[in-house]
Amino acid sequence: MAAAPSRPFDYLESLPGTVFFKLYQQPSTALAIFRRMLPDLAKCFVMALLYLKDPIPAVDLEIWVKSESLKERDSALSILGRLHILSNTTTADNVRAYMVTNPFAASLRQALTGAEQTQSFGVLSRTSDEGSTSIGSLDEYARRQWEGVLGYMVGTSGLGIQRDANLSKGVKQLLQAGHLVEIRDRRVEITQDGFAFVLQDVGTQVWHILILYVESAEAIGMDSVEVLSFIFLLSSLELGKSYEKRHLTSNQLRTLTDLADFGIVYQSSPEAGQFYPTRLATTLTSDSSALSNPISGTLSGPGGGSNQPGSGFIIIETNYRLYAYTSSPLQISLIALFTTLKYRFPNLVTGKITRQSIRRAIEMGITADQIISYLATHAHPQMRKHNVSRSTSNQTGIPPSVLPPTVVDQIRLWQLERDRVKATAGFLFKDFVSLAEYEAPCRYAEEIGVLIWKSDRKRMFFVTRHEQVAAFLRNRK
Amino acid sequence: MNAVDATEHYETSAHDPAPSLLTVILDTNPHAWALLEQTSRSPLPFSTALANILVFLNAHLACNYANEVAVVASHSHKAAWLYPTASPSARPDPDGDVSMTADGSINGQKDAGRQVNKYRPFRIVEEQVTSNVRQLMDLTSRTDMDNNSSTMMAGALTLALSHINRRTIAWADAHGGGDTSSVSRSGGPDTSTTSLLTRRSTTTAANDGTAEGLQSRILIISVSSATGSAHQYIPLMNGIFACQRLRIPIDVCKLSGDAVFLQQASDATKGIYMSLSEPRGLLQYLMMAFLPDQRSRKHLVLPTRVDVDFRAACFCHRRVVDVGFVCSICLSIFCEPPENGDCLTCGTHLDMGDYGAKPALVARKKKKKKVRANGTGASATPTPTPTPGP
Repeated sequence: MAAAPSRPFDYLESLPGTVFFKLYQQPSTALAIFRRMLPDLAKCFVMALLYLKDPIPAVDLEIWVKSESLKERDSALSILGRLHILSNTTTADNVRAYMVTNPFAASLRQALTGAEQTQSFGVLSRTSDEGSTSIGSLDEYARRQWEGVLGYMVGTSGLGIQRDANLSKGVKQLLQAGHLVEIRDRRVEITQDGFAFVLQDVGTQVWHILILYVESAEAIGMDSVEVLSFIFLLSSLELGKSYEKRHLTSNQLRTLTDLADFGIVYQSSPEAGQFYPTRLATTLTSDSSALSNPISGTLSGPGGGSNQPGSGFIIIETNYRLYAYTSSPLQISLIALFTTLKYRFPNLVTGKITRQSIRRAIEMGITADQIISYLATHAHPQMRKHNVSRSTSNQTGIPPSVLPPTVVDQIRLWQLERDRVKATAGFLFKDFVSLAEYEAPCRYAEEIGVLIWKSDRKRMFFVTRHEQVAAFLRNRK
Repeated sequence: MNAVDATEHYETSAHDPAPSLLTVILDTNPHAWALLEQTSRSPLPFSTALANILVFLNAHLACNYANEVAVVASHSHKAAWLYPTASPSARPDPDGDVSMTADGSINGQKDAGRQVNKYRPFRIVEEQVTSNVRQLMDLTSRTDMDNNSSTMMAGALTLALSHINRRTIAWADAHGGGDTSSVSRSGGPDTSTTSLLTRRSTTTAANDGTAEGLQSRILIISVSSATGSAHQYIPLMNGIFACQRLRIPIDVCKLSGDAVFLQQASDATKGIYMSLSEPRGLLQYLMMAFLPDQRSRKHLVLPTRVDVDFRAACFCHRRVVDVGFVCSICLSIFCEPPENGDCLTCGTHLDMGDYGAKPALVARKKKKKKVRANGTGASATPTPTPTPGP
């Protein structure tokens, strides 16, 4: 897929090492990356090594992990290596050792202890105009702006929805540049990527947009590193507080104005002296359990009045009938992407998920997983409740699914009907001299999770990333 | 084709791991800290220790957006909250509960401009903890100090447990398991018991590690000597067993000496017990051994202890005993036979038989069976323990 990487991790990984060096100068960036991008075990490694003066011998670190968790250990180490957080060095007596790389270690220590006046975590505004902007109104603003963006994209799918007029030119250009929409004969048409985009959860969408923004920042003469670290700074701010704009650079101010169009930050006017981060910004580096926070609740919910955490509106029965308690044109058109709608009432739409409707969606580029996760995110509380009571009765250890399993399976099967061949870009290792020489790197590739295919008879294997396997082979020689 | 991307492989599930709640019980007995500073080979002043602990708390908060901390001081005469604390403006609700918010009043506007280089949640924790410690020390009078050199560990443990229980329920209500609250709200009084039962089952399942829920653990940083805590044996053990039942590990970081009951606490709850040989390296110990949460611990080789001191304290004089007397009805432990043979706990009259009498010499039988001369319970049937031949 030629589209922009959907996950922030993929994007970060593709950056060159020098960019990391610049990024890690900011404590807020180091903290955000530490918190969001690393698996649990990697966090333990970093924290254990953070306050050590000397590099720790690799053997010592490796025996710290239980032998049955080798896979987790290697994947943690590989992620740390790819993000340039952990580096391989040697101790004084030439033993292979690990240490936390320097700008990252210094910044993370600074984030934890707070050493110098770097203003890396924003400056709280001292003027107390608390009455003007409450958390509720920030949520409302973020919801309105973000729904406007989504509405702009979906609005052209022929359902006759009024397009939101207050979108700025920059937003539209960004959506075009990211191939989420295309302009044909002065009409906006959503692309396959766009369809996939609108069905994702809000957090993923925001990251997607932000990465598009960072990529396009170079084109309009801004330093992408500066923009990226500003985004990480935003994510560490606190909701409901206003922050000073005086300390920001001109590029950061420009970014701020652009992000305000998406509802990620709020400023009463471009000339105002302070800005407010909205929930879209402050949950950037949080986990996805924050999905059940008011913003996605209001974003997906019917009117915006439902502030209950985790409120949804979709009910699916085992007979594939779907009831959605919503009157939002955006949500209705999203549901219509993969459902055959039957009736529409003032606050309710009903329809049926059929083989044709799913196939139609998949032909547009939507995947079964996207549909399922959309349905699960927006499931009605009644469905969750029903499910929790059922799952407590049989303790099988399988995570309870909110949706009826038969529907989920069938949607997957309908997708598989089309997917018979799967293409993966990667690297083939072949021509090993002996079986032993073949086996070790093959097992290593499997452990770090890059192995896709192998053939013991032909002594070949296929991986998605070759750097670490190559390094492994070099180390053996 | 993102499905076969390698990054998928690293994400174990679609949902991110549940946050964890770390409750630190800090022993703030001034006697013990003074002793540690004077006698120890490598002195660790309280202020340095507190600074190290604050960095450790920040590190825990940094691990996950939704992670929470709580700090309880186990002082010489009382247990007190250091974080979170009740804001002075908060009014008790009808039950008499005071809402404890993380956003105290001390971090007002006045210092907002000064410390801008710190992540705000970190700053709030630090300011509250330091100011509360100062307040606690100011309120400690001479008489409080003279009375005892022990620490209110049992009270602190109970405070920590109730906070964990409260946060677990609140978290379950907010995330998915919101059904229990709705049942108890909508249903009559008769349904409330069932909802309590389900809630208990969900909390126990939540700490299981497999099911997702708020992961709670307790870290006790202890400096007081072992003998001090013997008089709180019963409440302390009750707290420990509650933790064991709720699957909350109790980690113990002992800065000086060894504590009998804390060893048992970490052993019973599968926590970590470490007695620091070099207290000045406190931060590194904390970061390496105590920071990993339950999920990470599954993958790590943990510092273990084989020689756990399983001695108990007697119920009559609070002495730590190796061998004692146990009431056959209520299992209370005594260091010496109670007066008149009446159990001090349940009041049952215990027949001591001819305890203390010299063992009568009994001629050996052919099969060389030993006969126990001083059986404790005379009314009891002779215990048919098969004694192996010599």
